[in-house]
Amino acid sequence: MKCSFCGFEFKENEADKSCCGCVMAKKCRLLKCPNCGFEIPKESEWIKKIIRFFGKKLFPP
Amino acid sequence: MSMVSKNKETKDSCKNRKKVLIVGNPNVGKSVIFNNLTGTYVTVSNYPGTTVEVSRGKGKIGSEEYDIVDTPGMYSLLPITDEERVSQKIILSEKADVLLHVIDAKNLERMLPFTFQLSEAGLPVILVMNIMDEAEGLGIDIDIGKLEKELNMPVVPTVSVTKKGMNFLRHSIKNYVYGKPFDLAYGSSMEEKIAAVEGLLENNYPVSKRSVAILLLQNEMEILKTDENSETEITGIKKLIAEAGESYKHSVNYILNLKRYRTATMISEKVLKHGGNSKTGFAERLSLITMNPWTGLPILMLVLYFGLYKFVGGFGAGFLVDFLENTLFGKYVNPYVTTFVQSLIPWVSIQNLFIGEYGIITLGIRYAVAIILPIVGTFFIVFAIIEDSGYLPRLAMLIDRVFKKIGLSGRAVIPMVLGLGCDTMATMVTRTLATKREKVMATILLSLAVPCSAQLGVIMSLFDKNFAGLLVWVSIMFFIFLFVGYLGAKVLPGEEPIFFMEVPPLRMPKISNIIVKTYTRMEWYFMEVFPLFILASVLIWIGQITGIFDILVGLFVYPVRLLDLPDKTSVAFFFGFFRRDYGAAGLYDLNGAGLLSGNQLLVAAVTMTLFLPCIAQFIMNVKERGWRTGVGISIFILFFSFIAGFILNCLLKVSGVQL
Repeated sequence: MKCSFCGFEFKENEADKSCCGCVMAKKCRLLKCPNCGFEIPKESEWIKKIIRFFGKKLFPP
Repeated sequence: MSMVSKNKETKDSCKNRKKVLIVGNPNVGKSVIFNNLTGTYVTVSNYPGTTVEVSRGKGKIGSEEYDIVDTPGMYSLLPITDEERVSQKIILSEKADVLLHVIDAKNLERMLPFTFQLSEAGLPVILVMNIMDEAEGLGIDIDIGKLEKELNMPVVPTVSVTKKGMNFLRHSIKNYVYGKPFDLAYGSSMEEKIAAVEGLLENNYPVSKRSVAILLLQNEMEILKTDENSETEITGIKKLIAEAGESYKHSVNYILNLKRYRTATMISEKVLKHGGNSKTGFAERLSLITMNPWTGLPILMLVLYFGLYKFVGGFGAGFLVDFLENTLFGKYVNPYVTTFVQSLIPWVSIQNLFIGEYGIITLGIRYAVAIILPIVGTFFIVFAIIEDSGYLPRLAMLIDRVFKKIGLSGRAVIPMVLGLGCDTMATMVTRTLATKREKVMATILLSLAVPCSAQLGVIMSLFDKNFAGLLVWVSIMFFIFLFVGYLGAKVLPGEEPIFFMEVPPLRMPKISNIIVKTYTRMEWYFMEVFPLFILASVLIWIGQITGIFDILVGLFVYPVRLLDLPDKTSVAFFFGFFRRDYGAAGLYDLNGAGLLSGNQLLVAAVTMTLFLPCIAQFIMNVKERGWRTGVGISIFILFFSFIAGFILNCLLKVSGVQL
C-alpha cells in the first residue's frame, strides 16, 4: 500500500511495526506509515475482496 | 516472454559471470528494465529467512552473459521495511560489477539523495533516468551531460515500457569504467565523527568504510552483523555513536539527510529546465498556487467554507443530525426505549443507566449515532476527497511555510494535520520529530489548539446559522495557535529545519476511492467511539449514584460562571474530558435547547476547543512526554482555556458586539 500523505510504499505488516510501542496497538484498526506516521484505517476483508474483484482500474492505489 | 518460476534461493555456481544489480524506489520501472535485460529464464525466490521476493535472471549484453538481480523497492541505504532490509543486504553482500540506480525522471531531486548514498558506498553506479516520456510530457528538460559531470557517473535516459534507451543502457553496462565516487562533504564536525568511526572499523566491507561509518552513525548497527567484529570495536563504535547523538540539536540522520537534500536541490537546479507544456502547465500552476501562502490560504479558506462549513456543518450537522436526532431518536427510539425500560425495570436508579438525562441509550448512543456519526461521516467524505486529490501534501507544504514564518519546525506539520483526525494518535506521531523542543511544542499545540475531526465537525454545526461566529472562532483559534507557537519557539529556540516530502500530482478524486476511504474510516471511528460513549454513560451513572459526578461537575461551575455561561455548561466541560467530541456534543444539546446566546456560544466553543485534552490524549501525553510534562501541559491548558474564554467574553462585552 502507498501512504496517501508522503507516498512511501509499504506492506500492512510493516505498518504494525511502526506503532508496536503504543498501548492501543493490539486492538487498533489504523495502519501507520512507517515513514511519516500518517494513519490509514485498515480496510475490512470484504472491502478488500471488492477491490480485488473490480481490480485496480476502479480502485487505483 | 520470460518464464517465471518460484524456487527457494539458490546460489549460482558460476562465479565468472559479471553481476548487475537493479535498485531504486518502488514503481520506477525496475522490473521492466530487469525483463528487458534478462533472457528467457528468470527465477523469483524468497530471500533466505524472509518472505521478500527477489528476481534473478541472466542476460546477454554484447557477447558477455551477466547475472541480473532485481532488488525490492528501497528509498535509501538505511532500511525501514523488510524489503529495504533485503535490498540493503543484497547490495552489501553481492558484489556488483554494475549497479543500476533506476529513478523516476520526474522526481530527480527527490531521488538523488539515494544516488549519493550508493556512490558514496563506492558502488559502480549507473543512473537510469526512467519514465523520461512522462518527464518530457510535463515539460521537464534534463541536461544529461551536465548531470553526468555533476555526479561523476554515467546517466542513461530510458522509457523502459517502450524499450527506448535500452540499447544505450546495455552499451553503458558493457563499457562501464569505475570513476571517483560522488564527493559529498557533511561539514567539518560531522566529517570528524565519520572519520573516527571509520578508523575503528577493522574488517573489510563490500562497500566503502566511509559509507559503513555513516550508516553506523545513523544507528544502523545491523550492518556490523555481517562480519566478525571485536568487542573493542563494537564498544568503541557505540561510544562514538552516542557522543555524536548528544553533540547535535537534531539527530545525525536528519543532519546527513538535510545535506543530501540540499545538494540534490542544488544539482537539480543546475540540470533541470521546466518547459511550458500548456496542458500540464495548468496542473503545475494549480499545484503551486495551493502551496503559496498568498494564494494557498484563500484556497484553504474556500475548502474549509464549502467542505466543512457548508457540507459538514450544513448538510451533515444540519440536515442529517436533525433527521436522526429529532425524528429517529426523538420520535421513535427514545420514547419506545423509555417506555420499554420503565415497564421492564421498576427501580429508577437502574432505569437511569439506560434512559433519562445521561442514559446509555438516550445519551451515549444518541450522541454516537445521531450527532457524532453523521458529522464525522460527512467530514470523512471531505477528508477522502482531499486525500485522493493529492491536496493533503500540498496543505502540509502550505502550513510548513506558515510555520517557518513564526519560527516553528516544518516537520511538525505531519502531526498537526493528523491532529485534525485524532489528536491522541497525532501525539504519538510527535515521536518522529527530532528534538525534545519540537516534541513538547507539538504536544502543547495538539492538546490546545488543534481540534480533532469529531470536535471540529460539531463546532461547525454549532455555528450552522451563525457564520460571523464561525469566522471569529476560526480567527481566534488561528491566532492562539500562532501566538502559542511563536511564544514556544522564542522560549525554546532551535535551528530552523527544512521539511521534505513527496508532492504527488494533483488528480481528480475517484468516487470508488472516496467511498472505500470514507466507509473504512467511519467503520474504524464507530468501532472505537461507540464503546467509549457507552462507558462514559456508565461512569456518569456510577458518578451520579455515588455523588462524585455532582462534585466534579460542581468544580467547573465557578469558572463557567466567570465566563457568563449557564451552569449547565459545566456538564459539557466535564464531558469534554472524556472525549472532545462528547463535550462539543454537550454544547450542541445546550445550543439546541436555546440556552446559549450567540456570544455565549462563541465563548463556550472557544473555551471548549482549547480545553483539556481528552482522557486518551492525556494518557498519551504522559506516556510520550513523561508525567511532569504531561501533567504540566494539562494544567497550563486548563488555565489558558478559561483565561482565553474570560478575555474573549470581556472583549465582547466591552465592544458591545452581539453575534
